[in-house]
Formats: sequence, structure tokens, C-alpha cells
Amino acid sequence: MEIPYEVTPRRDTGLYNAKLGVWLFLASEVMLFGGLFSAYVFLRLGVQDGVDNPWPWGVSVHKSFVWLGAINTVVLIASSVGVVFAWVSLKERNWRRYQIWMYFVVACAVVFMCLKMVEYNSKLNHHHGIKLIDNSVMEGVILDQTDELRFNGETITFGLQGALPAVLRDLDSKEFPAFTVTDGPEGSAGTELKTASAFKSWFHDSRRDFFKALATDRKRYRAEIASGVANPKPVAVKGNATVTAAAPFALHGSPRKIVGHNETTVNYRDGVKVEGTLISDDVIFEVHEVDMQLVLPQQQRESLVWDVIGDDAAKQSFFTQQSQKYQELVSYYDKRGEVVPEKMLRGRLLNVHYVHVPAEGHEGGEGHGEKDKHASVHTSETALTAGSVGGEGKHGPSRLLVIPREQVKFMGNHGPRYGNYYAIYFTMTALHGIHVVGGALVLLFFVVFGKKLYLKNPEHLANRVEVGGLFWHFVDLIWIFLFPIMYLL
Amino acid sequence: MSEATHDYSKTKKTYAKVGIALGVCTCITVALGLYPPFDVGPPGPTPGDFVIGLAVATTKASLVALIFMHLNHERGLIYKLLLFTCVFALGLMALTLFSDLDGIVEQYDTNKTTGGWMLNERPE
Repeated sequence: MEIPYEVTPRRDTGLYNAKLGVWLFLASEVMLFGGLFSAYVFLRLGVQDGVDNPWPWGVSVHKSFVWLGAINTVVLIASSVGVVFAWVSLKERNWRRYQIWMYFVVACAVVFMCLKMVEYNSKLNHHHGIKLIDNSVMEGVILDQTDELRFNGETITFGLQGALPAVLRDLDSKEFPAFTVTDGPEGSAGTELKTASAFKSWFHDSRRDFFKALATDRKRYRAEIASGVANPKPVAVKGNATVTAAAPFALHGSPRKIVGHNETTVNYRDGVKVEGTLISDDVIFEVHEVDMQLVLPQQQRESLVWDVIGDDAAKQSFFTQQSQKYQELVSYYDKRGEVVPEKMLRGRLLNVHYVHVPAEGHEGGEGHGEKDKHASVHTSETALTAGSVGGEGKHGPSRLLVIPREQVKFMGNHGPRYGNYYAIYFTMTALHGIHVVGGALVLLFFVVFGKKLYLKNPEHLANRVEVGGLFWHFVDLIWIFLFPIMYLL
Repeated sequence: MSEATHDYSKTKKTYAKVGIALGVCTCITVALGLYPPFDVGPPGPTPGDFVIGLAVATTKASLVALIFMHLNHERGLIYKLLLFTCVFALGLMALTLFSDLDGIVEQYDTNKTTGGWMLNERPE
């Protein structure tokens, strides 16, 4: 079938159809990204102290990423140049050069996405923050899974209505504890569940039986009402079960699935309750920066963070850096005969500083004060990890901090849930990344399967490449704005 | 087609120049963000930095749009289409930002949230 206006322009629009089509599509894309950009502006203007995790003002939190972002900008610009050169090569009927330029563009897209992955990986796996209950924030690294609850479980109580209990994923899969059903649906008491798969199939069977019994009982209830029984017996089917382990089992509780815990019980988000003995709920952390943006200045010296860090030198160095920065600001404004604006006092500049806790001396030692009661709860295993493994900071190894969980308000990696900045950062850069992948696939298609069309009608292929290129330039254009607002300003 | 015989050497030169200009602009953006001498106004991120950063970004975006996307010589229909897009995108952004002019929020911000952080309380 012959489709008109693939090459020749329509008389009324003056354009070949694909071009008008792609511009309409780009217009809708502008609206999509425009909405997200206004979300960014809205979030940034609306930063309020204490409401959210701090906004990483300026560059200090991701200095290392600025260069990745800058390289990515150059890579995208190079690829944009590549697309126009590929288009010109087609216009000049030079297939070989067209191929080279197009593969160059696709290679640029691959490099871009690889650097993006490096950055995401670093944010998601190697940068964490802990906000204490007085809103002081420590930036650093939570050592491998030390944010988990360490718990010796004995019994698990769960409902049979919902999904498989989340707690199963926190058990050691190699040494699955041998459970016996101690309480549950009729006739199930005493059932032994020795493996995870036995547990699962028993759970699924019991759930099916539960819903069957529920349906039967409802039928019975409706029938009783229909037949005019004065006091019909209400629907009641036992929908929960308790299993007991032969020996206490180790539970590595993922904090995201747990709503609360005490010395003997862990309550999961899905309603599952585990009883046993708490070993330790402390978090082991290597601190790199202390962020006081959310703490009022007159309370900064008494902040909880100094109790947790327990190192006077680190505290002193923080306040020395703060007063140096403050003097810089004062001298800047004094020259102009102005007063330091309040906004500058609240910002990151004055309240976020590098903190180093030297490795000498073991944790639980001097300076912990009121934390001593927690020291007794630590297992020897935890103490060993904390004492022997030292993170490498700017000035030699750092001491690992043991942070009692009840002093933690929020903790996590620098993923979208860390705060508004990271939420909008991941939304926008990921959406942009998807566009890069999509655009690269389209351009790759034009070069891998384009030869036939080139031989038939080179002008048609040139138009296709021009249209694909328009999209590609648009993707570049979005990044041109994303880079400064996300990384630099 | 007549275009097949057209001489593109001038076009190619323009594209190369624009590419280099974009690279230079990127360096300016990075310098603005990273190095104090390029920092406008007081140290740290300020509205001045933001304006300059966005101005550089807009310059780059215009170069890409005008030269690479051929908007410097395009049909009228596309300009009309883009005019509508810009009006709506900026209009909707403005609508969102009007909420920031809300006096109630402003009062909350200065009186409650920053309470106690006064100008005369300078850190030692």
C-alpha cells in the first residue's frame, strides 16, 4: 500500500506527515516533563525544616556524581551531533558513514545508561542516612544488613486469609526451623512442617480450607436467617494459626516489613507476630557527615547525634567548620554592609559538615553515657564486627557507631523514599532514562533494518532518521535542564 | 530529488560548531556549580546561581532546538503547535507556583518553623 506524504510535503501543512506527528508527540512530552519540572520547583520551594528529610542543597552530598552527570551531558551532546551527521550522510547518500554515525549514537546511549547505573547503584547501595529522633541526620553507610533486627524466634502467629507471611523471607533458608502447628484450623494441630516448601504448601492448603469453611458457614447462616431462627449462630471460622519451632531460630528482621518490636515480640506489617527473645536491634553505621539543617542552632550542641557519636573531637571539628563557614558568610555580607540572611543560616552550607570518628578505642567505651544500658544487649558477635571492621574514611579508618534503634526516626538508602529530593530525582532521571533506551532502540532499528528502504527510497529513510533524531534531541534537551537542577544548583 | 545533490558541507560545519558550543556551555555549568570563583553572590547555592545556571541551560536548549531540530527554518504550523504547548506548560507551572504565594503558608513558615532562629543569634 502506498502511504502518501512520506517524502513529499502535504500542501496544506507544508510538512511530510511523520514530522507533524513527531512534533505533536513532542508537544505531549513537553507537557509530561513540564509537569514533573513544576513538581520539582514546587518541592524545592516548599522545603520546610523538619517536615521532610533534608534537601541536599548544593553539591556536597553527591560531589562524586557531578562528574558522572557532566560526562553524561557531554555523551548526550555528542550523540545529538551524531544523529544530525547521520542524517546529513543519508542526504549525501553515503550509507557507510550513516551506519558509523548511527552506531556511534547507540554506543553513546549505552555509555549514558551504564553511567546512570553506576550512579543509581551508588545511591541505592552505598549511601545511607539515619535521622535521629531529634531530627539530626547522619550521612554514611549502614554496614551490610546491620539495620536488621537480630531476634531469636520461638513461635509465629499468622492469619490464613492473606498472602504468605513476610517473615518467611527473614528466616535462614538453609536451616529452616522445624515447626509444629500448635494452634490452627481444626485437625491441623501437631502437623510438622520441616521445610520451607512444606510450610508453604500447608499454608496454601489451610487457606483454601479456610475460605471453603467460611463459605459453608455463611451459607448455613443465611439459611438460618431465611428459615426464621430467632438467634442465628454468627459466622465464625478460625482464620489464624500458630507454629512453634523445636529450637529457637534466628530471625533477621527486615526493618521495612516490621511495624514494631519489643524484647519478646516482633510485629510485622502484614499482621504476623513472632515471639521469642530480642538479641539486638542496634544499627551499625559508619558516619561521614552530620547534617544539622533540621535542628535549631541553640540545640545543636546538645543534639542526640553527639551522644551517639561519642567523640568530642568530632563534635569540635563540626562546630569549627561551622564557624569558619559562618565567618565566610559574615565577611561576604560585611563588605556589602548587609546582615547574613536567615535563609543562609538555615541552609546546608552552615549545618552540614564532614565528621570523622577515628577508629582507636572500642565501641561502648568513653562518651557513650546513657547508652551503656544498650551495651549489655549487644551480642559478642555484634561487638566483634563493630570493633574489628573499620571503614576507610578521609583520614584513615573510622569507628563504626552502634545506634540504638529507639533513637532512630528514619533510616534508609538514598532511594526515592529517603526524601522529596530523591523522590523527584529518581522519578525524573528514570523517566528520562527510559526515553534514552526507547530512542536508542528506534535509531538502532533504522540502522540495522534500514538498508532495504535506503535502496528503495533513501529520502524516506532520511525523513525517518530526521524524525527519530527530533525525539533524540528532545531527550538531550531534557537532560540539559535536568543536569544543572539535579546536580549543581 | 534535488536535495540529494545539495552541498551539505556548510551544514556539517554548523553542526560541529554547535556541538563544540554545547560542550563549552556544559563546562560553564559545571564550573558555576563546583568552583567558588564562578559562584555568583554569597557562597553556596543562591537565586543568582540558579538564574545563571538556568540561563546557560536555556542557551544550550535553544541551540539544540534551533539548529539540531531545525526550528530556525520550520513551517508555521509547528511554531503554532509549540506556542500552544509552551503556553500550557508554563501556565500550568504557574498555577502550581501560585500556591506558594499563599499568605497562610508564608506565616507558618516564618513564625513557627524557624521560631528561635533569629538573626542576632550567631553561632560562636
